[in-house]
Amino acid sequence: MHSALQRGNAIFAYTLSVLSFLTFCCFASTVFLDYTTGTDIKTVTVLVKNVPDYSASREKNDLGFITFDLKTDLSHLFNWNVKQLFLYLTAEYTTPSNELNQVVLWDKIVLRGEKTVLDFKNMHTKYYFWDDGNGLKGNKNVTLTLSWNIIPNAGFLPNIFGTGSHSFKFPAEYTTSRM
Amino acid sequence: MDFIKNIPLHMDFEGQHRAERLLKIIITVFGIVGLTWGYIIQQFSQTVYILAAGCILTSLLTIPPWPMYRTKPLQWQPARDPESNSKDNSKSKKKK
Repeated sequence: MHSALQRGNAIFAYTLSVLSFLTFCCFASTVFLDYTTGTDIKTVTVLVKNVPDYSASREKNDLGFITFDLKTDLSHLFNWNVKQLFLYLTAEYTTPSNELNQVVLWDKIVLRGEKTVLDFKNMHTKYYFWDDGNGLKGNKNVTLTLSWNIIPNAGFLPNIFGTGSHSFKFPAEYTTSRM
Repeated sequence: MDFIKNIPLHMDFEGQHRAERLLKIIITVFGIVGLTWGYIIQQFSQTVYILAAGCILTSLLTIPPWPMYRTKPLQWQPARDPESNSKDNSKSKKKK
């Protein structure tokens, strides 16, 4: 005979089954959405220095110093299956020693409910723009791209690249003075 | 003490069937309503809360053996008269 405990167990098990089905519906309702958006990036200051990298080898490496403007509207990216966005700004360039260099310069977490229209002026980078040699001086094509991870309630963890990257060139001379 | 022992704890078979059907209906309905509401306001947490409310309501309705689950008790055969069936009696005595 079914005791009270067995009935409680049946209720709990069935609730969990329904919950997993609802979570799947939530995932299925958002899996085909388009999460790309346009970004507007501009560099303001672009300098390159040749200084010792004490965190690595003490050799003198190229250190890029840039400030940037960033403008983008992320409001349509949020829905009931998005908890937060992890934005990150990468610089991509080619040097004679490495075909592909990618450096993360800046990142930001945008929680759902926070301000989604970003308009930053003259932002400093969060992380050092080190090259592992002298590849930055006079580099003619460095591309800044804003990308983001979508952190969902259920489903995939997509990595989206914003459309509208910005290319700039580094000066051909090192800056020696302190800034 | 007698009062506590006299609290009925069991449903009859018909009652168990009704309780199980009721729990599936209530939880499913709350799940569908929760999903719809959560989709409308785009908050999945509301879906989960509504489902949890359905789970609690179902627990209250179907875990305790309410009188409505005890309307058709089993009709037991009447107890046999031991003297009219001496053969069975002798067997049970031998076993003892």
